Amino acid sequence: MASAFPEEVLEHVFSFLSSDKDRNAVSMVCKSWYEIERWCRRRVFIGNCYAVAPEVVIRRFPKVRAVEMKGKPHFADFNLVPDGWGGYVQPWIAAMAAAYPMLEEIKLKRMVVTDECLEVIAKSFRNFKVLVLSSCEGFTTDGLASVAANCRNLRELDLRESEVEDLSGHWLSHFPDNCTSLASLNMSCLASEVSFSALERLVARCSNLRTLRLNRAVPLEKLANLLRRAPQLVELGTGAYSAEIRSDVFSNLAEAFSVCKQLKGLSGFWDVVPAYLPAMNSVCSGITSLNLSYATIESPDLIKLVSQCRNLRRLWVLDYIEDTGLEAIAASCKDLQELRVFPSDPFGVEPNVSLTEQGLVSVSEGCPKLQSVLYFCRQMSNAALITIARSRPNMIRFRLCIIEPQAPDYLTLEPLDTGFGAIVQNCRKLRRLSMSGLLTDRVFEYIGTHAKKLEMLSIAFAGDSDLGLHHVLSGCDSLRKLEIRDCPFGDKALLANAAKLETMRSLWMSSCSVSYGACKMLGQKLPRVNVEVIDERGPPDSRPDSCPVEKLYVYRTVSGRRVDMPGFVWTMDENAALRF
Amino acid sequence: MTEADSEIIKPEMLKVYVWLQTSDGSIQQVEQEVAMYCPFICHEIHSGMGSSKNYPISLPSRVNPAMLSLILDYCRFHQVPGRSNKERKSFDEKFVRMDTKRLCELTSAADSLQLKPLVDLTSRALARVIEGKSPEEIREIFHLPDDLTEEEKLEPIKNTMDDPRIRLLNRLYARKRKELKERERLKNVETEEEHADDRSVDDLLSFINGGNEDSKGSRTSKNKKKNRKRKDHDKTAPLNCISTSSSNSSSNNAVNMNKKESNEPAVYGKLPPDLRNATKMLDIENDRFDPEDEFDDCDLDDDIDPALKEKIDREVEDFARRLNSDWPERMQEILSLGQDRRPLQLTINGNGSLRRFTSLDQRQK
Repeated sequence: MASAFPEEVLEHVFSFLSSDKDRNAVSMVCKSWYEIERWCRRRVFIGNCYAVAPEVVIRRFPKVRAVEMKGKPHFADFNLVPDGWGGYVQPWIAAMAAAYPMLEEIKLKRMVVTDECLEVIAKSFRNFKVLVLSSCEGFTTDGLASVAANCRNLRELDLRESEVEDLSGHWLSHFPDNCTSLASLNMSCLASEVSFSALERLVARCSNLRTLRLNRAVPLEKLANLLRRAPQLVELGTGAYSAEIRSDVFSNLAEAFSVCKQLKGLSGFWDVVPAYLPAMNSVCSGITSLNLSYATIESPDLIKLVSQCRNLRRLWVLDYIEDTGLEAIAASCKDLQELRVFPSDPFGVEPNVSLTEQGLVSVSEGCPKLQSVLYFCRQMSNAALITIARSRPNMIRFRLCIIEPQAPDYLTLEPLDTGFGAIVQNCRKLRRLSMSGLLTDRVFEYIGTHAKKLEMLSIAFAGDSDLGLHHVLSGCDSLRKLEIRDCPFGDKALLANAAKLETMRSLWMSSCSVSYGACKMLGQKLPRVNVEVIDERGPPDSRPDSCPVEKLYVYRTVSGRRVDMPGFVWTMDENAALRF
Repeated sequence: MTEADSEIIKPEMLKVYVWLQTSDGSIQQVEQEVAMYCPFICHEIHSGMGSSKNYPISLPSRVNPAMLSLILDYCRFHQVPGRSNKERKSFDEKFVRMDTKRLCELTSAADSLQLKPLVDLTSRALARVIEGKSPEEIREIFHLPDDLTEEEKLEPIKNTMDDPRIRLLNRLYARKRKELKERERLKNVETEEEHADDRSVDDLLSFINGGNEDSKGSRTSKNKKKNRKRKDHDKTAPLNCISTSSSNSSSNNAVNMNKKESNEPAVYGKLPPDLRNATKMLDIENDRFDPEDEFDDCDLDDDIDPALKEKIDREVEDFARRLNSDWPERMQEILSLGQDRRPLQLTINGNGSLRRFTSLDQRQK
C-alpha cells in the first residue's frame, strides 16, 4: 500500500502531525517512512542540549526551520547550578548558520547566549522570524541591537526572564523604519529606559503587534499613547503601574484601555498605585490570563480586580491574595485552569499574610477546570491535600512549596505522606509534581505505585532511605525528569535502577549521599548516559570512593561526554576507573 | 414562445458529458461540470480530450473505478455553488469515514487528479489515524515492513516513555549479579556483614515483593502484576527472594504497606500494552521469576571474577539482541563495554552492512 503512495502525499499527511511524539513514531515505522519524515521535519525540540550533537541533528533533519532547546537543569533556577556549568548555545548556532540558511525560529531556555551568537543569528538567517530567550544569560543589549537591525522579517523577540547586561536602552532604536513585521515583543526583563518615541513609532507601524510586554521603565502616563497605537493588542505587559494621581491621566488611560477590545492577557504591574486599577475595568471581562506576580497590591483592591475577571483561565499572584481572595476567585472565576501563588516575603519568619491551605482548598473545590497549581504557603495538612485530590482528579501539574522544610501536617504533626498519596492516587493524569513538608519513604511508595503518568518530580528534604528513591525509579513508568536535593538517598537505589536512567531525560541529585564510587560505577555501566559529578571542593579522586559527591547530574545522550565542562565538573565514564 | 415554454428547453437537456477511462480500461460518461472539478480532467478537456467515447480522457493509473466513483461523489457535491460552509464541512466529515486502506487509495487517486481539497481532507483523516499510535500499530494498519534494524537514529529526542526492554534488562543484570553473589557467598564461608540499614531495606522490599509467606494477600496481588508480564511462566512465588518470613521487620511501615496492598489489588490490574508486546518479543531463558522491585544490594565494586563478569555481560547481550531492537547503536556500545571487546554479531541488513540507511537517493529539495 505504501508503494502506491507518492512521497509528497505522505509528506502532506505528516504535515498534519504536530506533536513530536507522533513524528517520532512515524519515523520508526519503516525505512521509507524514516527517510521521508526526516526530510520533511521542520521543527525540532531538544530537551537537553547535551543529549545530542548539532551535527547529528543536522545530518538527520536537513530541512529544519525551527529549533527549540533547553540547557541547564531546572534547579539552576534555585541557584544550585554553579556559574560556568555550561549550556552554551554557540556550537549550535555555528553549525546551524552553515546548515540551515532558511532557519526561522530559535527558542532557548536556560542557555548561555553571547552577543556574538546573536550577531551570527542576525546575519545568517535571512528569513529569521522568532527569537525566544527564556531564562537565558550571557548577552547584552548590544546583541539585541544586532538582531533588531538585521532581521528584516522579525516577528517575535521575547526575552522572558533572561539576565541581560543592560548597557543602554538604545538597542530598540535599531529597528529600521521599514520594519513592520513585529507581532510580539517582550522586553520586560530589561532595566534601561528605551527611547519612548522610537518605541511609539515601532508600535505604530507594526500593525500585526499582538503581544507587547514593556519593562518597568516605561511610565504609566505614556501607556495610553502606546495602547492607542495598538488597539489590536491581545497581550499587554505594563511598565510601572504608578503615577501621581491625576484625573486626566486616569481618564486618558481608561479610554485607551476601552479601545483594546481584543485584550486577553495582562502582566507587568510593578509598583502599583491602586487608584489606577479601575482604569482597566473595561477589559477585565475579556481577560483570560493575569500575571500579578510583581504587583504588591493587597486586598481589597486586589480582590476587586481579580473578581472582575470572570473569564480568567490563568492567574499568577502574590500571597497578598490571601484565603479571602482565593475564596472570591473560587466563587467568580469558574474557568480557572492555572493558579500560581508566590510568596511576598519568603524569608520572613512569621507569616505576613493570611494565606493558608484553606485558600487552595477553596479554589480546588470551586474551580472545576483547575489543573495546574503552584502554591507557596506556610502550613498544610493531610486533610486539605486529600480534599484537593478528591475535588480535582483532573489535576495535571501540582507543585506545593511549604516554605519551612520538613514541615509536618500542622494539625496532626504527622508527615504529609497520606496527603500527597491521595494526590497521586486520585489525579491519574498527573504529569508534574513538586513536594514539600515532612515526607517519609511512604510517600514514595505511593508515588511509585500510582503516579504512572508522572513525567517530572521534584523532591527536597524528604524520605528516609534508598527505598524511597527506589520506589520512584522502579514505579514511575513515565518519568522523564527527576530532581532531588537534600534527601538521604545513596547508592543502592541508583545502582539497582541504573538502566532506568537511560529512559529518562535527566536526573539531578544534590546534597544527597551518592558516593563517588557509585558515580564511577554508573558511568562505566551506562555508556549512553553522561554521569557528571559537580563538586566545588576539588577533584573527587582526592577523596575516598565512599565520599558522597556534592552534586550529580545524569542525563542520557547519544553524543558521549561533553567537551565544555568547567573545572568543577567531572564526567564518569568507562575510563574513569582507569584514570582514577 | 412564452417563457414557460423556453423553460422546457433548459440546459439540463443539453447537459454536456465527458468520457473518462480508468486504469482497467473501462470507460464511463460523466457530467462535465462535475468532472471538471478535478484540475487534471479540466486540463484534459481544454486540450480537447474526452468529448466522445472514442477519445476518452485517460485517467492516471491510481484512479480505479471505485475511487473514481468516490471522487465524483465528492465533486458532485462540492461543485454546487450554493452550499454553505457548514454543509460542506458536514459532508466532508461523513465522506471520510471509511477504512484506512480505502482512505489511502483515495488520497492517492485524488492526488493524481490534482484535487487538492480532497487530498487535504483525506490527508488530515490519515493523520488522525496515525496520531497517538506507536510505530508497531502504524505498521500494522498500513501493512508496512518492519525493516528498520540498524538505522542510525537519534533516540526520540523529546518525549520518551519508560521502555519495558530497559526494565527487563535491568532485571536481568540484577539477577545475574545476585546469582554471582550467591555463588561467591557459598564459596566463602565468611558471613556477610550487613548493616542494619541494608537489612531493613531488604526486608521492606521483600514485603513489597511478596516474599513474606505469611502475607498471602499481598503476595498474590503483587504477583498478579508480575505474572501478567510473564504469561508463559508459572505463577509460583519467586524462588530467590531475599529474605524469609522469619526475618520480617516489624516496622509499622512494612505492616502498613502490606495491608494496603492486600486491600487494593486493583492497583495492579491494568498492564500497559507495551509491556505485553515486550513480553511477546522476549525469549526468556530462565523460567525463574524475579520480582521487578528487587535490587542488588551488594557492593557492586565487589571482586567478581572478570571472566564471570564477562559471561554476565555476554548473556545480557544475547538477551538484548533477541529483542526487536531499534537500538542497534546502543547494543554496539553495550557490547564494547570494557577492555575486552567481543566481536559484533548484530543482525545485518540485506546489504551486509551496518551502515546508515541510504537506499533512497538523497533528494535535493
